[in-house]
Amino acid sequence: MSDDTDTALLVEGFRRQLAALVTPAVIREIEDGASPQSLWASLDETGFVDAMLPESLDGAGLDLAQAFPLVLAAGEHAVPLPFAETMVARAMLAQHNVLVPAGAAIVLAGRSALIPCAGVAGHALLDRDGQLVLVACSAAGSDLFRTRSATGIHVGETLATPAASDDGVLLASAAVAAALMAGAMTRVMEMTLSHASDRQQFGRPLGKFQAIQQQLAVLAEQVLSAQVAARTAFAGRGFDATRVAAAKCRANEAATSVCNIAHAIHGAIGATAEFDLQLYTRRIKQWQLAFGSESYWAERLGRARIAARADTTADFLRLHLATGSA
Amino acid sequence: MTLNLNNFPPATIPDHAEALRSDVKAFIAEQLAGVPPHIRARTWSGFDANFSRAMARRGWIGLTVPVEYGGAGLDAFARFVLVEELLAAGAPVAAHWIGDRQSAPLLLHYGTEAQRRDLLPRICNGELFFCIGMSEPNSGSDLASVRTRAERVAGGWLLNGQKIWTTYAHKSHYMIALVRTSGTSDDRQKGLSQFLIDLSLPGITVRPIMIGTGDTDFNEVFFEDVLLPDDALVGTEGNGWAQVNAELAFERSGPERIYSSLVLLDLWARLLGDTPDPLDAGRLGRFVARLAPLREMSVAMTALLAKGEHPITEAALFKDMGTEIEQQIPVEIADAVAQRLDGPHDPELLQTLAYLMQLNHVFSLRGGTREILRGMIARGLGLR
Ligand SMILES: Cc1cc2nc3c(=O)[nH]c(=O)nc-3n(C[C@H](O)[C@H](O)[C@H](O)COP(=O)(O)OP(=O)(O)OC[C@H]3O[C@@H](n4cnc5c(N)ncnc54)[C@H](O)[C@@H]3O)c2cc1C
Repeated sequence: MSDDTDTALLVEGFRRQLAALVTPAVIREIEDGASPQSLWASLDETGFVDAMLPESLDGAGLDLAQAFPLVLAAGEHAVPLPFAETMVARAMLAQHNVLVPAGAAIVLAGRSALIPCAGVAGHALLDRDGQLVLVACSAAGSDLFRTRSATGIHVGETLATPAASDDGVLLASAAVAAALMAGAMTRVMEMTLSHASDRQQFGRPLGKFQAIQQQLAVLAEQVLSAQVAARTAFAGRGFDATRVAAAKCRANEAATSVCNIAHAIHGAIGATAEFDLQLYTRRIKQWQLAFGSESYWAERLGRARIAARADTTADFLRLHLATGSA
Repeated sequence: MTLNLNNFPPATIPDHAEALRSDVKAFIAEQLAGVPPHIRARTWSGFDANFSRAMARRGWIGLTVPVEYGGAGLDAFARFVLVEELLAAGAPVAAHWIGDRQSAPLLLHYGTEAQRRDLLPRICNGELFFCIGMSEPNSGSDLASVRTRAERVAGGWLLNGQKIWTTYAHKSHYMIALVRTSGTSDDRQKGLSQFLIDLSLPGITVRPIMIGTGDTDFNEVFFEDVLLPDDALVGTEGNGWAQVNAELAFERSGPERIYSSLVLLDLWARLLGDTPDPLDAGRLGRFVARLAPLREMSVAMTALLAKGEHPITEAALFKDMGTEIEQQIPVEIADAVAQRLDGPHDPELLQTLAYLMQLNHVFSLRGGTREILRGMIARGLGLR
């Protein structure tokens, strides 16, 4: 798939299907413990889980940059199952000619304090002893954010060990998390803007108050820069440590102010289980804790800056962090 | 919602523009050999007419001005490459900065053929330096309330009033000023026009203002019955507000809104050595992570400007975030340095740091304040 308009149409179609399939009611049912099976079957049926497979394997042949909007959309819709993770995992495995059991939901299980969606997946991709490994798995430990995540996994049968990998799965995990966060933050921004124009106090919509406008401007800045950083992590042929580090660091930092501002502007209603905002912000916070914090990635990025021996930071940005350098 | 990722379509600097980079690097290395970081840290506040003339000799002022007007006829990407290198190295570009960045494009777009023929070649060869006459004592953020007035008289315009904070007016040949030509300040955006003011005309007094660092970069400029010729009007009478706004996208979208503290950052990074402690590596990494998407945005806006678009809201968003990082770099480096009570403290690092600590508060003022930029973003979001 190379044509831009084709990709745009594809993404549009995907968004329509997500809007129909992944309603807030469905998200809540799964969070409350319902079986993920029927939603997963529907998502699988859309065919988008295979979007990154080559056309010879009945995929759409999307590269990372083309798949990026699908991941954003999954974040925007708070898909409660590892759709984006599975799409990326299948592509990584297909590169090494490993075909995945039909219908398998796969989590990306890079080193992490928690694994999102581990409670609704039967397979995991890991970095283990320098190898890329596909295993059967089940959730272990707690679901800290009520998102069907888990603080660990029970590793079952090893299904494939197709390639060497030092931290390739960690990079993929963090890149996907950064893009899902950027997507969820986009939805949070939309919800906050619409709340600010609906909710009236002192006889005016909140959005007419300058103090609120200024906060919304900051919210938009943070969301846009997290989106651009995530897009850059999806610009190359594979996930590059420097780009991923910048993307996850930026997503995590942005997430703090985005969640604070969004909840502040919503007031008490935004904190309630009945209101949808928390479906998105709860996930954003879960991803903040997953696959490395801003300090973890910042330290790696700082070391990369020094190791590169670039004359200036501008050179480093251009050579290692620009879309065009991928 | 009107602000999303589509406002910053991914863009790549084309090869023909990148091709310029190594020449620029070599030129800077030669010109700035031996100039210490605390001087380089002035970057686009550093005024050096000789440096600007050396650039002109290379054909690097007015890079985007068509060849027929004395420019290089290159595109906005080439200018991005040039400017990025100059700023990253801390080259003293102030003398030609305003003319190159905004006066030349303004004249090209709105000027008469005679104005273009007269002025553009002289901007490009480093003869004419420009300054921006927008702010007045009672009109800062509320720019539309300017009171400096030009009245039509036989043979031209009679100018009276005062501008302030005019960077390098005392070393410039021309000011492009926003003034009232009809109505009163209650008429706001209506009745404003832009004028090209030859600063050597009788009736003009330029008085430098010293800031806390002891530097005198900006000025008060007084106009007392200054007779401007007919052809001092730039563009259309009464269209000044729209013209100024078109200028602002150029003024706010460039790398100078993210690189003002880069010389300090890179000096500090170099002194960290090969094995920095985790805290310092993290500090450095956070700056890189914040700068990376902003550079992408600046390249994206360069592509939009090259297509003739005016990414004004985007530029406001970019500048507000960029100047925040520029302000934060000295703050966090100061924290890192003074965390070690007993040093070692590199004297050059301390001097560069102290300079930027005393200056960083203006980064968010020049070119429009945070509150004003955020108001523009709010408008872009449909809130106003
Ligand atoms: C280093 C430097 C160089 C400069 N160079 C030039 C130059 O070359 N030419 C030129 O014309 N100007 C120049 N300026 C002036 C600059 O454009 C103004 O400082 C700026 O527009 C703000 O105006 P002000 O200083 O009068 O502050 P004010 O407008 O008085 O603002 C003071 C504070 O009040 C806030 N504020 C004002 N209005 C509102 C509002 N409606 N809502 C909320 N908050 C508000 C502002 O955000 C700011 O925080 C320069 C300034 C600096 C610092």
